[in-house]
Amino acid sequence: MALIEVSNLKKSYGKLDVLKQITFDVNKNDVVAVIGPSGSGKSTMLRSLIHLEEIDGGSICISGEYLVRDGIYSKPQEIKRITSKMGMVFQHFNLFPHLTVKENLELAPRLVKKELNAEIERRSKELLEKIGLSDWATAYPGKLSGGQKQRVAIARALMMNPEILLFDEPTSALDPELTGEVLQVMKQLAEEHMTMIVVTHEMGFAKEVANRVIFMDNGEIIESGHPTELFTNPKFERTKAFLKRSLK
Amino acid sequence: MSINYFISILKPMLEGAQMTVLLFLIAIVLSIPLGFVLTLAVRSSFKPVSWFAQIYIYVMRGTPLLLQLLFICFGLPMLPVIGDYLVLDRFVAACLGFTLNYAAYFAEIFRGGLMAIDKGQYEAAQVLGLNKWQTMTRIILPQMFRIALPAVANESVTLVKDTALLYAVAVPELLHYAQTVVNRDFTIVPFFIAGIIYLILTLLLTVLFKWLEQRFKFD
Ligand SMILES: Nc1ncnc2c1ncn2[C@@H]1O[C@H](COP(=O)(O)OP(=O)(O)O)[C@@H](O)[C@H]1O
Ligand SMILES: [Mg+2]
Repeated sequence: MALIEVSNLKKSYGKLDVLKQITFDVNKNDVVAVIGPSGSGKSTMLRSLIHLEEIDGGSICISGEYLVRDGIYSKPQEIKRITSKMGMVFQHFNLFPHLTVKENLELAPRLVKKELNAEIERRSKELLEKIGLSDWATAYPGKLSGGQKQRVAIARALMMNPEILLFDEPTSALDPELTGEVLQVMKQLAEEHMTMIVVTHEMGFAKEVANRVIFMDNGEIIESGHPTELFTNPKFERTKAFLKRSLK
Repeated sequence: MSINYFISILKPMLEGAQMTVLLFLIAIVLSIPLGFVLTLAVRSSFKPVSWFAQIYIYVMRGTPLLLQLLFICFGLPMLPVIGDYLVLDRFVAACLGFTLNYAAYFAEIFRGGLMAIDKGQYEAAQVLGLNKWQTMTRIILPQMFRIALPAVANESVTLVKDTALLYAVAVPELLHYAQTVVNRDFTIVPFFIAGIIYLILTLLLTVLFKWLEQRFKFD
């Protein structure tokens, strides 16, 4: 059974159909890269998985539990439980500016998971080491570079022990020389078999790290497949045109 | 001018300044929470509450504070039937007027603070599993108060100076004593003393708020 099953996802803003019958599965340990032109519905699709957007039709099933089935959402506490299996990393980091790095990591486990302090602190220490920011524990996010902020945002998501991590253009707001450090952390997560869906413009990352690429255009999945296959031998004209533009 | 004379006029003025400070403290302590409640009311999804709060803020900000004070002190007792029960002590009436008026200004300041918070903050809180209450108290309000701090500081300094309006409703405060001496002794010294006392008060406030801003700085 797939870890994430999405079928016939539909969403529109007024007359604009942003998602038209989106269907795909994600298996455990998959790293899925979602690519496509801007405005094609990638963010909307990703955000609907974690209930930041409400869809108008279709189903989303996360490890056997329906977040929404045929357009009908589960009860709020069910939704909360189901979405808690996922973490999300945003383009603009969305760190809490009034909290230190350490507090950013520890707030949610404390308030939501109600774990023992010792366990929370052990994990935040371990994760800060992992992202190479142990020395920054007591700094406020305003003092960090973009790349550091995004690494902290990834660690903050990991603090909740998600089964799945969603990334929405995690490196698009970064100066080019800072994308490497973030991609490095994501690569490491992939090697540790974290299940990830990554909306990205980084074709290098998609090729190198993803085991599946989904190409979206105009609210539809045009094609999906293994990166070597999709990048070297795209079946559809739209895919070819997009790849030609973005691999330049 | 003898030192004795100086002390003799300074003493009542300092007593008047106590009244000024007392009004300031009462008004600020009451109007900030009330202003915050108004902010929440404006954002209420229950429309009548939101409308009421918006009209309240509009009226309070759109009419002179002096008019409001005169209304509470002299207008309310003239109302038919209930007027007799609305004769308030002048100082109490003034505190009420200042609180009701300043609450509207603070409400606008807090509303601005809330609007300045990126929606990504709510989204981050949501995906981390925080509920509405936790999001408000742990994420949004601390940022709102921090953002609002400079504007609150400004408004507080204005409040100190506005206390001089007590003069108009005949509550003896700093300016009242200054004016009395000016008339009696035909000297302008009390005006300078009054000015200096106001400057000291606003300076103390400014220093306090600078300290608060520093204390809650997070970048
Ligand atoms: N809140 C909204 N209201 C109206 N249109 C929206 C809204 N959010 C997104 N859209 C539209 O939906 C389409 C898909 O947007 P999005 O999912 O952000 O695309 P992508 O992430 O692929 O760039 C775009 O045309 C965008 O303008
Ligand atoms: Mg997007």
